[in-house]
Amino acid sequence: MSIYEIGRICVKIAGRDAGRKCVVVENVDDKFVMIDGNVRRKKVNIKHLEPLAETVEIKDKASHEDVKAAFDKLGLAVWDKKSKKPTERPKKVRKVKKKVVEEKSKKEQKAEKKEAKAEKKEVTEQSSEAASSEPKAPKSKDSESSDKPAEVKKEVSVEEKQEVEELSAAKPEETKE
Amino acid sequence: MPRGMHKSRTLRKVFVKTPGGKTTLHYRKRKPSKAICASCKKQLAGVPRERPYKMMTMAKTAKRPERPYGGVLCSPCTRKLIQQKAHQVEEKK
Repeated sequence: MSIYEIGRICVKIAGRDAGRKCVVVENVDDKFVMIDGNVRRKKVNIKHLEPLAETVEIKDKASHEDVKAAFDKLGLAVWDKKSKKPTERPKKVRKVKKKVVEEKSKKEQKAEKKEAKAEKKEVTEQSSEAASSEPKAPKSKDSESSDKPAEVKKEVSVEEKQEVEELSAAKPEETKE
Repeated sequence: MPRGMHKSRTLRKVFVKTPGGKTTLHYRKRKPSKAICASCKKQLAGVPRERPYKMMTMAKTAKRPERPYGGVLCSPCTRKLIQQKAHQVEEKK
């Protein structure tokens, strides 16, 4: 057996963990051993270790907890992995402007446009009727038939207006609340 | 002709190519000497050779090896020292 048997306490000579104490946990091959203790648990070349006289009774391939318990008995410190939890970035909350009033106005505008269009249509129809009814009698029947739906449309449009007005009256109160 | 202050070799010469195609002579301060091991006087690896103002802007990890005595002793000397210290502690026990 080489001097680097399982449980041998060593000092790490090279690298970031140089000067810290560790324990051989596993013999990988004749050159490399697995170490743990007051160092990062890793496979190292035995050239990077300096063996000490002390030994610890631990199993082959002992876990970090076992090594920790053994080191606590000896009063040695143990390197604990500090796995950082990625802190959540504060998400920027976009300031949303309350466009409720504007939307209403848009709706109103649309409604108004519709009404205006309907009125224009009616006007044109009426004008066409007036123009067509005088010279020719048969076409007037068609115009009469077309008149009725126009009237209905008028009524509907008036109702819509009322509704829109009601809505516009009601919504500002909500926003105020 | 160079200026009187530029006749000595305190400043190093740097040839700079201008946008017009000419090469002009600039004078700059010399870099500090290379870092050496405190025990064996060998040149240290991993220690940059820059003027202090540039070293100040560098990260701490970029200025020296990240091990005990990094930037002071070379790695073989560090190993020897740590070995000696480990055995001294054992002898005391």
